[in-house]
Amino acid sequence: MFDGSAKAADYALRVQVKEQSRDAAGKADNQPVVGVTITVTDADGVEVGTGQTDETGVVVIPVPDRGDYTVTLDESTLPDGQTLDARTAASQTVTEDSFVTATKIVNFFTGESQSVSQTFVERLSQRVLDGIRLGLVLAMCAVGLSLVFGTTGLTNFAHGEVVTFGGLAAFVFNITGLSFLGFLSFLPGVTEQGTFHILWAAPIGVVFGGLFGWALNAGIFSRLRHRGIGLVTQMVLTVGLSILLRNFFLSRFGGRTRPYREFTLQRAWEIGPVSITPRDAVVSLLSLVILVSVALALRYSRLGKATRAVSDNPDLASATGIDSERVIRLVWIIGGALAAIGGVFRGLDEQASFDMGSRLLFLMFAGITLGGLGSAFGALVGGFVVGIMVEVASLVVPTELKATPALLVLILVLLFRPQGILGKAQRVG
Amino acid sequence: MDWSLIIENSLKGLVGINAVYFAVAAIGMNVQYGYTGLLNFGQAGFMACGAYGLGMTAHYFDIPMWWGIPLGILFSVVLGLLMGIPTLRLRADYLAIVTIAAAEIIRLVVRSVRFKTYFGGSDGINNFSESFREVGTDLGIQQSAEYGFWPFTFTGRELWTLIIGWLVVAFFGFLVYQLMKSPWGRVLKAIREDEDAVRSLGKNVYSYKMQSLILGGVIGTFSGMIFALDRGSVQPDNYSRDVTFYVLTALVLGGVARVTGSIIGPMLFWGLFTFVDNFMRQVTEDPIKVGNFTLLQSTQVGQLNYMLIGLALILLMVFRPQGLVGNRKEMAFDGR
Repeated sequence: MFDGSAKAADYALRVQVKEQSRDAAGKADNQPVVGVTITVTDADGVEVGTGQTDETGVVVIPVPDRGDYTVTLDESTLPDGQTLDARTAASQTVTEDSFVTATKIVNFFTGESQSVSQTFVERLSQRVLDGIRLGLVLAMCAVGLSLVFGTTGLTNFAHGEVVTFGGLAAFVFNITGLSFLGFLSFLPGVTEQGTFHILWAAPIGVVFGGLFGWALNAGIFSRLRHRGIGLVTQMVLTVGLSILLRNFFLSRFGGRTRPYREFTLQRAWEIGPVSITPRDAVVSLLSLVILVSVALALRYSRLGKATRAVSDNPDLASATGIDSERVIRLVWIIGGALAAIGGVFRGLDEQASFDMGSRLLFLMFAGITLGGLGSAFGALVGGFVVGIMVEVASLVVPTELKATPALLVLILVLLFRPQGILGKAQRVG
Repeated sequence: MDWSLIIENSLKGLVGINAVYFAVAAIGMNVQYGYTGLLNFGQAGFMACGAYGLGMTAHYFDIPMWWGIPLGILFSVVLGLLMGIPTLRLRADYLAIVTIAAAEIIRLVVRSVRFKTYFGGSDGINNFSESFREVGTDLGIQQSAEYGFWPFTFTGRELWTLIIGWLVVAFFGFLVYQLMKSPWGRVLKAIREDEDAVRSLGKNVYSYKMQSLILGGVIGTFSGMIFALDRGSVQPDNYSRDVTFYVLTALVLGGVARVTGSIIGPMLFWGLFTFVDNFMRQVTEDPIKVGNFTLLQSTQVGQLNYMLIGLALILLMVFRPQGLVGNRKEMAFDGR
């Protein structure tokens, strides 16, 4: 019953064998190694496929599914005088989780390693940079979660699906195309098939995210509030909503991850010890601008003040003439839109998939708990900190377990400062 | 359309092993959610404790399988303390968040390459349930023979697990029924209704909640053991967070804060699930199309079933949060 579904994709291992060398300018100039036999076996040791590298040093071996495989290079078939780099094992294991896309790349290097081994500081700074990128996305996604909690008391376990919705809505406009919108093809970046350039698709996805937030409130949660249905009941309901939406996405989108169209592999900028692609740099800067605007708006705008007032004390806010239902509606819309931005940015970073949001949900919870449940500033700070921490932690814990420190934070915060960094103290015990 | 096959499978689903292990897990969740008002979204983690307790006896400790039972209980008590200590003094949502997170981390740890020597990685653990099968054979149940009458025909292998499974259901059902009639159980129900009132009577609410969380978790542990014994293997991905949610749906379907509800819920859940699944697979042998748009094809039936589970949970929470046999007044708690 619980096996994964939707195995429409053709999975493959792309094995590359390269001899390491550098050109005169000192740039990496690896040479392909031809005619090396590569064998792939599955977790039970059964051979899945075998092949020899072609003139580009590449062999693509199809595999039935994403799973755990062992890729073995037959060292006796290496050209004379070449041996594997001391740091490359002849057998490499591929785990199920490492299939980011349908094709997993496995590299073997021969000859002397040409790369200058990274110092700890270099690795740390790269991790911190990756962490900042993740943290920005987390902060953006978590604001809505925290604001909804603050204004209505509801912990929304379907918030991950709101993130996914934004990411996939952008994907539909970017890749799938809506043929009835073909008449818009006079606009730059719009085709007659109704597909939109990512610069169109991203904001459209965000608008849809906001609409989705509005619809969830208007269609479900505002009605439940009026009927006086308890918060625990509503919380369990969001679990049902999450199952419903996630499986809907899976049935329509399929189980694999897919990139946006203008998603191209870019040459990374090397800045000191770290590298970042221009795309990621632009996305991060945009995130930062958006997050700062959100923080300023909460601090200074009338709506922001009203939101914080409702979070603080709904009854008192109503008594002072704030229309709390209107504030809650706006919080759902803005939260949905921000989650959608997070979804689109995550999709640019890691590609779009049916569970891109629900994978982040637990990190978002850790973030808003650290920052203070219900506080929007707390969500910004907490999400950011958790993002950095998770990435930096992967220096010491295996990558597959890098989410573990987030649980540790969750437990430690609840033990010693349950209101979080920026939350207000509540009744305890 | 082969109706007799659909009906046969659905009726088997009512009493089959899936209903059994869901029922045990649901009895446990009922102690927490139904009687105490605790939201444990990590029951799958407790189930994993039981399954890995059994599995590790063969895979890591190399001791007889029966030691897996106390080992699994030990794991789940530790897990319960880990989840409970930071959260049970706080509002209900914190427990939900921490349990969902802890269960997910457990799944990541047991399937990780790093801890493969202990937990067998993503392949899981096989070959530990021989001694369990042997007891059945010693009692005269032929593992491969057919037993029963239409529609309830099972192989001896299935029958043996079912007998033990339903005995476990009966045992915990009776235990919880008796406990909830006792003064201890009345305190739990009072905590669900009004925590402050109970505290003002001088009861240690925190301690009672902890006992409830751990008791429910330990019962869930037995659910994981039954499932592992039935499959003869322990697979990390059988304990994903959605399992908890399906158990919760089954519990709410049957009825919250009732022992009968937590047993008939999983039976109905699996009877209906098998019915819908079999029915849809027969209907979609040819894809259903509206014009050029493929509405549904056989590969999407699995997802459709899970969507229906989600929808069922939503509708239940809106219209009948107490479930079929529950009492609405007992499900009015707020958690804040």
